[in-house]
Amino acid sequence: MLIKSKNKYKHGTESDENSTLKDNEFVIECRDLNLWYDEFQALKDINMRYRKNKVTAIIGPSGCGKSTLLRCFNRMNDVIDDCRIEGQVLFNGRDLYDSDADIRLNRKKIGMIFQKPNPFPMSIYDNITYGPKIHKIIEDDILNNITERCLKRAVLWDEVMDRLEDSAMELSGGQQQRLCIARALAVEPEVLLMDEPTASLDPIATQKIEDLILQLKKEWTVIIVTHNMQQAARISDYTAFMYLGEMIEYGETTQIFENPKEKLTENYITGRFG
Amino acid sequence: MAKEMHKELLFLKNEVSKMGHLALNMLNDSIDSLYNQDIELASDVLEKKEKIKDYDNQIEEKTLKLIMLYQPMAIDLRSLAAILKIITYLHRIGRYGKDIADVVKKHLSERQIALNLVNLRHIYEHVHSMIEDALKAFEEMNISGIKDFETRDDEVDKLRWSIFRECLTYMIEDPKYITECAHYMMFARYLERCGDHACKIAEKVHYMVTGKHIEIS
Repeated sequence: MLIKSKNKYKHGTESDENSTLKDNEFVIECRDLNLWYDEFQALKDINMRYRKNKVTAIIGPSGCGKSTLLRCFNRMNDVIDDCRIEGQVLFNGRDLYDSDADIRLNRKKIGMIFQKPNPFPMSIYDNITYGPKIHKIIEDDILNNITERCLKRAVLWDEVMDRLEDSAMELSGGQQQRLCIARALAVEPEVLLMDEPTASLDPIATQKIEDLILQLKKEWTVIIVTHNMQQAARISDYTAFMYLGEMIEYGETTQIFENPKEKLTENYITGRFG
Repeated sequence: MAKEMHKELLFLKNEVSKMGHLALNMLNDSIDSLYNQDIELASDVLEKKEKIKDYDNQIEEKTLKLIMLYQPMAIDLRSLAAILKIITYLHRIGRYGKDIADVVKKHLSERQIALNLVNLRHIYEHVHSMIEDALKAFEEMNISGIKDFETRDDEVDKLRWSIFRECLTYMIEDPKYITECAHYMMFARYLERCGDHACKIAEKVHYMVTGKHIEIS
């Protein structure tokens, strides 16, 4: 299935390899996605597909629309006044913006991690079990298992196993961010969206999150927005470059950073603008 | 920050260019010292050995520092990667010039050149123009001058075997030519290797400019 696009950038939609993806090889797909904040158009004709069990990085200068695009994937833009969306965002083939789409279920399946760690002001244990409890899981044994499993997946278990009842606010910034990842994993999502997850962390905490992301992709699909191009190059399999609301180039990370096809991409990643 | 990096990258490219012309100069003077029996010129070439080594080390250090400080991408990264390889080839070209000058000074300065090896001059001229064109392509980021390198390298290879056969004939005719001819055959081999290095430089320039690897066999 090939994607037809009105995008004027030849490489702004899909690499040749991606354009022939089978339906079960990708989880999220944007079709002619346009978004306006009042009169301002923040996204223009976005057409792209995100591969399953891969890390896709979205890069671009401030204000290019990358966070806006990420927020479209779990309908977080809905809460913004005067935000209008056209086009489709398909999750496993079903449009997230259909009138009968179950937003709560979709947000369970598509978790989100933000720039600043945002643990709930409660214990570590309660942070992890908060989501499962909402989804009607109440048995202690099951909740204990979920807590241990998710903290282990987020590589935090060894650091907090003896103090699960302590407040999450007492953890360091890096630990808080990993707790937020563990919390997102607790409701068994398929996709993890990350909006500059290491922007407020020191280099060691950043390293741990990056290592974690590489682990996570074995089971989950990760879409990450980052300002740090070296980070995108280190952890992602695919990279998309956005500029002024348009997808300029999308392809394998090594190709984008070593030999980009669009001059705009080259100028941005070599620091000639932005 | 990027502006500073591009300034330093430009400086580095100029240094590579200077190193390239030093290597070319060493090769040129070594051949001239051979044909003119000029020991002084051969000694000059030998003295430049340290200078070309210094260029190699300094450019390598500066390149690594740039990578460390700015973590460049795309064309900038390819340029630095190309520079790291190109300086090795240039160093070797300069060293071949030094090797020829060494033999001229030690073994050939006392005796007359008995043979008229026109092909040695020919092979040198071919190689010289290949190195010049590869450097020009690097300086101007323009690959049009290196497109015929495959054919030109074949010509160099042919000339080298022609010198081999020529020397063999002289040696069979009269054993007194054996030492001299053995040296000439080595010179031909050195020059042919310099041609190969010019091809390797051209390959790296091609990658630097287009992002695509090619092989000039």
